[in-house]
Amino acid sequence: MRRPVNSRVQGKYLHNPGSLKIDLMLRGIRIDGSVSEGEDIEGLGIDLILPRNIIANVPCKEEFTKDSPYVLKKKGKGYVITDGIDEVDVRVVPKPEFYRKKTSTGVPFSKIGIVHGSYTVITPSPRCEFFHSNIECRYCAGNFDVNSTDRVYSVDEVLETVEAVMKEGSSRIIYLSIGFTKGDDGGIEFLTGYIREIKKHFNCLVAVEALPPKHNRWIDETYAVGADSVLYNLEIFDSELFEMICPGRASLIGRDRYLEALRYAAGIFPSGTVASHLIVGLEPPGSTCMGIDFLTDIGVVPILPIYRPSPSRALRIEPLTAEIIIPVYRHLYNAVRKKNINMNWVRDISVVTTPIESGYLVEDKGGFKGIMESFYKSKIGLKTAWGLSTIRRKLRVRDVEEK
Amino acid sequence: MGVEIDRRSIWLLLFLRGLRPLFFVVLGLVFWYILSLPVPEGLTPAGRNAIAIFVLCLILWVSHAVPLAITGLFAMVLVPFLGVLDEKETFSLFGNEAVFFILGAFILAGAVMQTGLSNRIALAIMERFGSSPRRLLLSIFLLSASLSFFMSEHAVAAMLFPIVLEIAKGIGLKPGRTNYGKLLFLSLAWGCVIGGVATFLGGARVPLAVGILRESTGMTIDFLSYTVSVFPLVVIMLAVGYTVLTWFFPVDIDDVGRAREVLSRRIKNMGKVSYREYAVGFILLLTVLAWMFLGRTLGLATIALTSVVSLFVLRLVRWKDIEEYVNWGIILMYGGAITLGTALERSGAGLWLANTIIGEWAKSPYVLVGVLSFITLLLTEGMSNAAVIAVLIPIGIGLSEKFSVSPAIVTYSIAVPAGLAFSLPMSTPANAIAVSSNYLRVRDIMKAGVIMSTTAWIVFNLVAILYWPLVGMG
Ligand code: SF4
Repeated sequence: MRRPVNSRVQGKYLHNPGSLKIDLMLRGIRIDGSVSEGEDIEGLGIDLILPRNIIANVPCKEEFTKDSPYVLKKKGKGYVITDGIDEVDVRVVPKPEFYRKKTSTGVPFSKIGIVHGSYTVITPSPRCEFFHSNIECRYCAGNFDVNSTDRVYSVDEVLETVEAVMKEGSSRIIYLSIGFTKGDDGGIEFLTGYIREIKKHFNCLVAVEALPPKHNRWIDETYAVGADSVLYNLEIFDSELFEMICPGRASLIGRDRYLEALRYAAGIFPSGTVASHLIVGLEPPGSTCMGIDFLTDIGVVPILPIYRPSPSRALRIEPLTAEIIIPVYRHLYNAVRKKNINMNWVRDISVVTTPIESGYLVEDKGGFKGIMESFYKSKIGLKTAWGLSTIRRKLRVRDVEEK
Repeated sequence: MGVEIDRRSIWLLLFLRGLRPLFFVVLGLVFWYILSLPVPEGLTPAGRNAIAIFVLCLILWVSHAVPLAITGLFAMVLVPFLGVLDEKETFSLFGNEAVFFILGAFILAGAVMQTGLSNRIALAIMERFGSSPRRLLLSIFLLSASLSFFMSEHAVAAMLFPIVLEIAKGIGLKPGRTNYGKLLFLSLAWGCVIGGVATFLGGARVPLAVGILRESTGMTIDFLSYTVSVFPLVVIMLAVGYTVLTWFFPVDIDDVGRAREVLSRRIKNMGKVSYREYAVGFILLLTVLAWMFLGRTLGLATIALTSVVSLFVLRLVRWKDIEEYVNWGIILMYGGAITLGTALERSGAGLWLANTIIGEWAKSPYVLVGVLSFITLLLTEGMSNAAVIAVLIPIGIGLSEKFSVSPAIVTYSIAVPAGLAFSLPMSTPANAIAVSSNYLRVRDIMKAGVIMSTTAWIVFNLVAILYWPLVGMG
């Protein structure tokens, strides 16, 4: 039996793309029968393009989405989202064509690369040394992923995937991700071959999401081999909650090392390219705001994903509503702007609301800012970013004899 | 290789990067300007072109804007291109005896190091004589010097460095804190520097100087005469060096027992002397004797290459192991330097330059030797010593005629001081290696080095005035 829909939000967030994205990610969406259950809504979420070209991956299959006031409907040839009172036009992002194809070794591309807006996330090794040791991050699904094969994808397989992504033009930013590894390099030694080859063959930007290495020289190495952006995701700023929810990270890396590595990386990478996730919903909003202030103070861009609860893991702080968290996103935008950190790097990610999107909660983005944003989003803007990033690296990186 | 991220402002980095192309544009303009100057009296157009090439190479050698070897090759391209010498002659200069002598010396030194013979000798001497802090110091100093009689001083410094470092650690010396730590590494560096000027083998600069001398004048200097001429200088400088060292940095430890333990352990790990070590040692001994007594008749390069061939015939070394010891860059650079020197001499540009630059104020042969050795000592502190030779020898030979001095004397006046670089880490790899230990600061080596350089200049000139006439040079 369907539960009653909360009517208090109706009409409140629909017309602001920033707040609509946040509320949609928080509550999910129901899919009307007029929308064919086809390729586009495979998996847990559906990728929608909201007004102002904001892309959002909206939960639509989880239990909690059944309470959502939002419904996706077909209207004529297009789609709309309605909250029961009003509606806005949206587009459904078609699943990339390359998802249907396979590498020459027979692995479906969709297993290696997943498109999240302007980023394609590639996880060459699904392993994380925290798995099966009772110190994995409590919200992490990787440990329980029964479909995971533990198979490491080769550099060639990853290159084929990137080629497919580039050919289709799905995204021009490749996001390489790796879990915890035992060495002191934070997994960079393993990723180096992938980064180098991607950079050698394609004119794309590469972001690396890893756990902080033990020594800063690996951060230098990450930049030198070709990473344009780096993410060390602290996830939770509150130290006690961090220890409880991320016991592995807390005991084997430590919160201080996270902050130190982020600070160091922000001095190496260009402004706005060092980022860290703070998951909204796993700690009180005040604590997230303190995290935002700390990170922006050291030149790091906070990225705020919203925790998607699952029935087996009740980690979410309650109540968690758009009313409570929208001020956190406003704070995010203001803090990043105040510290003059470039917001254009971290944008158009479907699974999080980025600082630049949070700007819609604060001001109307027209005029010059809008033009600049469109430039950064355009193909020529990306090419410029790639060119500048390459020149900057050439200027900054020096080979030195090891003592 | 590791990486380092330069965190200075991006605008500053851009500016600094921009300087390099700008440097080459300015250099090109200077080159073009000299080429387009009217030919001065006493100089031929070929001579003017040779000077333009000389200035270009001088700037490139001093600035290190491109590797030394590449500048050498550039000289070989420009000399025939600008009609200073014809192409055939230019490239035949690369086949100079000096180049092949150096090649042979590199391979012989490589064999000695590769078999572990040099290491064994070093360890044995230090263990045998290093019973007290002063004696250990003296044995490192004299050992570095005497090994540099037979091998390139750079190779000796590189070979002894890990041993001395281990000794310093074994005694428990803290980097930068103790005088004895400074003394150990300075005695290593200066021992190599002083010993390196004693024979043709201490570095490739003397063969280069002799090569240029021979190509320019047909005159030569043999192995034994050279060693006899510089021997007093070497002995005096070793005595002065030890005194300056212990005066500047008084010994501040009493016991080196732990250092001897380190040495014994190392010797033990080497096992017994192998057949290869005996055989290579024997060949080296024969080679040095042949250089001394048959050098003039057979030629130094012929002897060196014969020894090299015998090493391979007897299967004492493999090419794969030796290859890394051969510094091909230096060999290329020497080919270019000899070509340039010859071009300056044959076109009359060397003489013209010498008259214009030094001839005005050098009024007697003694002043000439004094001035040349002074300029050489000064330049060698900041420039590669081979580059100093390539630049100064053609000028010096040009001047010798004016003062009725043998070109050989002028060659000595440049070739010997060019090896005596005491004050800066960049002057010679031996100093750089010592400073890299962290036991020694640049300030330490500079302070004492200035005294050594001044003394070297005075002693060299005294030897030239008082001793050389006694051995038939004058
Ligand atoms: S580090 Fe934590 S979140 Fe990342 S894969 Fe490992 S357990 Fe999961």
